[in-house]
Amino acid sequence: MHKIAEVEIQHDIMLANKRLAKKNQKILNKEKVFAIDVLGAIGSGKTSLIENLINEMDHQIGVIAGDVISKFDAGRFKQHNVPVVGLNTGKECHLDAHLVEHAFSDLPLDEIDILFIENVGNLICPVDFDLGSHIRMVVISVSEGDDTVEKHPLIFKDADLVVINKVDIAEAVGADQEKMVSDVHSLNPEVKVIKTSLKTGQGLQDIIASIESFIKEEQI
Amino acid sequence: MHELSMADAMIKTVIEVAEKNDAQEITEVSIELGEMTLLNPEQLKFMIEVLSEDTLLEGAEIIIETIPLEIKCQSCGYSGKTSSDELDHYAPIINCPECESMELEIITGRECNVKSIKIEKSDENAQDS
Ligand SMILES: Nc1nc2c(ncn2[C@@H]2O[C@H](COP(=O)(O)OP(=O)(O)OP(=O)(O)O)[C@@H](O)[C@H]2O)c(=O)[nH]1
Ligand SMILES: [Mg+2]
Ligand SMILES: [Zn+2]
Repeated sequence: MHKIAEVEIQHDIMLANKRLAKKNQKILNKEKVFAIDVLGAIGSGKTSLIENLINEMDHQIGVIAGDVISKFDAGRFKQHNVPVVGLNTGKECHLDAHLVEHAFSDLPLDEIDILFIENVGNLICPVDFDLGSHIRMVVISVSEGDDTVEKHPLIFKDADLVVINKVDIAEAVGADQEKMVSDVHSLNPEVKVIKTSLKTGQGLQDIIASIESFIKEEQI
Repeated sequence: MHELSMADAMIKTVIEVAEKNDAQEITEVSIELGEMTLLNPEQLKFMIEVLSEDTLLEGAEIIIETIPLEIKCQSCGYSGKTSSDELDHYAPIINCPECESMELEIITGRECNVKSIKIEKSDENAQDS
């Protein structure tokens, strides 16, 4: 004899992630860590930018490096003598709050002022997955083409800081930097957009100043 | 896209609940999927089916209901459905149908919800005897 039953679940995967993200932010606040989710296209310069910020900023920095298959980026950060956790995301196209929570236990959070979380190089999938960071920095580069912003509006709507990198080669690749800036502003009028070249150092100090002012606002 | 991780998380939830309810088999799973999640329902369904092999969930009917996008416009106050013809993985652009503004609050369309399951369990009386 069998009985059929219907069981209500109402478990929203997205909401579950949001809840975990909130929990992560509580942990960060308690440890006085300011966390920055670094998102962007593959190869746009996320790792290079974080490396530059490690060298230039006057804070204790830690990094969580999300990588699809290798721990290649984590290895690059280790050379800078900062605490690093590499998150191997397997087939995943984004980090989620649960993975980040795991990484916390491998980091000396009490010694870290700023935690960079390098997300998987992807302009679509990470958008819906809050990690618990205080701000989201989106890094794109002119080499992806100057229609990148138009093609991926969602990630720019939620961004707190947008970096347009590799402007040193804009002319060579025929990309219109100003169009990229105005495309971002039409989606997100308030957001700060900074044009950078990590080859020449252009814009790096602006990014640092902007991060410092976010930290002040957050009072961490 | 992340249909795989979604499928995986959903299966975990479903099996956990089914086990708690002493299910012998799961016959049906109802899922609500918002348009804005950019998840492909067919792909999601396929992955759930593949990943549920050799579990309680194997052979269950997977029902996915798409939840349309509803917005509230921050410029003109319009609230309701908006055309999502242009929604695709590469160019998810949405505008207010009244004033074309892109400053919108999304009311529905982000769901990724395991709503309910139907399970078969052995009759308690039968179990006792
Ligand atoms: N010309 C130029 N090249 C740059 C600049 N910034 C980074 N690069 C180069 O771009 C390549 C990719 O940089 P990464 O920092 O590895 O990019 P990423 O976004 O971390 O890449 P993934 O993690 O693989 O997605 C490297 O060869 C860098 O040297 C820049 O401002 N100008
Ligand atoms: Mg990298
Ligand atoms: Zn409107």
